[in-house]
Amino acid sequence: MSYVSVQHLQKNYSGTTVFSDINCEIQKGEFVTLLGPSGCGKSTLLRCIAGLTSVDGGKILLEGQDLVPLSPQKRGIGMVFQSYALFPNMTVEQNIAFGLRMQKVNTDDSQRRVAEVLKLVELNDFAARFPHQLSGGQCQRVALARSLVTRPRLLLLDEPLSALDARIRKHLREQIRQIQRELGLTTIFVTHDQEEALTMSDRIFLMNQGKIVQSGDAETLYTAPVDVFAAGFIGNYNLLDADSATRLLQRPINHRIAIRPEAIELSLNGQLDAQVRSHSLLGNVIRYRVEARGVELVVDVLNRSAADLHPDGQRLALSIDPAALCEVA
Amino acid sequence: MSRVELGPVGVYHRVVVYLLFAILLLPLIGTLIYSISSSWSATILPSGFTFKWYLQLWSDPRFLGAFGQSLLVCVGSLLLSVVLILPLLFVVHYHFPKLDALMNILILLPFAVPPVVSSVGLLQLYGSGPFAMVGTPWILIGCYFTIALPFMYRAITNNLQAINLRDLMDAAQLLGASTWQAAFLVVLPNLRKGLMVALLLSFSFLFGEFVFANILVGTRYETLQVYLNNMRNSSGHFTSALVISYFFFVLVLTWAANILNKDKSE
Repeated sequence: MSYVSVQHLQKNYSGTTVFSDINCEIQKGEFVTLLGPSGCGKSTLLRCIAGLTSVDGGKILLEGQDLVPLSPQKRGIGMVFQSYALFPNMTVEQNIAFGLRMQKVNTDDSQRRVAEVLKLVELNDFAARFPHQLSGGQCQRVALARSLVTRPRLLLLDEPLSALDARIRKHLREQIRQIQRELGLTTIFVTHDQEEALTMSDRIFLMNQGKIVQSGDAETLYTAPVDVFAAGFIGNYNLLDADSATRLLQRPINHRIAIRPEAIELSLNGQLDAQVRSHSLLGNVIRYRVEARGVELVVDVLNRSAADLHPDGQRLALSIDPAALCEVA
Repeated sequence: MSRVELGPVGVYHRVVVYLLFAILLLPLIGTLIYSISSSWSATILPSGFTFKWYLQLWSDPRFLGAFGQSLLVCVGSLLLSVVLILPLLFVVHYHFPKLDALMNILILLPFAVPPVVSSVGLLQLYGSGPFAMVGTPWILIGCYFTIALPFMYRAITNNLQAINLRDLMDAAQLLGASTWQAAFLVVLPNLRKGLMVALLLSFSFLFGEFVFANILVGTRYETLQVYLNNMRNSSGHFTSALVISYFFFVLVLTWAANILNKDKSE
């Protein structure tokens, strides 16, 4: 029996179906990500689990108990919002203590627990500040502390990093993951950012148009996309139809294939039947646009030294690791 | 926050500001001087200064009565509007956001009909029958409520939109607060600023309202503006003292409200 189990969950919104049959299982202590483009239903699913949105059918079991009939107050779920949702009229300390105040925890206990979580998110010195005196990253850490202090059975994170700038985002990403591991907290994280999903999660549910397209750990999702959507959403796959694939690989192929750009090797030895069209420097990686046998491909090469750079127009030999050829539906 | 500007552009900006202040303040200063002069008719400057008009005004029981009654009617209608509009706004923005567009049209109705016209309608409707309220303060409170509605609605709506109502409510509820607790502990304190602005605006407006007060109630429940109108044939110095007293009261009130409205944390 898994810790969280979503069964045949169904949600319509004013006549249109957001999702009609969502099923997923989450183990205790797992960090799971719902990944997908905006409008795919991932946030709605999260809000259904929290009880902030009603469901039209199905069950959500947490420790074997069906959450659907329960109000959000009684579910024992913590949630962090993209907009932080800190209470502007309260100090950091009062914000964090709010949940304990609602549970009528006595003052001594409350103060001790607030101090504990403040330490956990490294904001001890900010207890007396108001939210408008904090940076975005600090606000989100307060929001995290506020949802942790009530010791929820399940933590939901709704795009918590999307409003932050890149550097803070990376740092907070690691901090969230570390705290989650430390507390062994079962967590569902919603994002549209594949990098966040791949780096943070134990398991990823890739969603599109109200369906879970694929689920698995980061490696599976990255190396073995099940369909065109998955291949297009994760990484920078080269997607080839059967004709182009046949021409490129010079053997008959009757399905679409996807090739990761870093699985293609360029060299100056062998049959020079490819040509560099253009290139762009991404930092540690150089991304080439290469044309080979009438097929245009994206190729990523590690940027080892400036001397290795192939100029535009250069003729090259291409080799593709057969194991990296991925058949997609 | 001031920018120092040099050259002709700076001068121009200053002239505009000073001119505006002059236009706004000159009549007030004139009235003020007139109210404290013993007599001022055929000379350029008043012949002497005195506070007797103020003493006379503030010892007139009819004035004090009118002042109190104005205060009562204004406070009454503002209380009514707070009690009715706050929950309404909350419901509209939390449960039926689409209603906001309709409300925005509805709240303009009190302004679309000129007071002279709508007061005639009100006289017809409430002059007799089960709701015979004409001549009592109750009809003024009801009528002023509709005038305060747009001020209250707009100011508080702006405030509500700025605080991200839905997320705050969601967060509070997930932390265990009931809808009522969330509304009172989280949303209401954050509406203080908008509410204060709305109350001040409507108060100053209602305190100076004359048309409805005169037509619907008149001397049967004399408010400040009706009293002023009835005193128009007495000494100009006396009525000037009245105007200045009235202005000063609103000024002090605004100032006090601003002090109260300052954030503790800033």
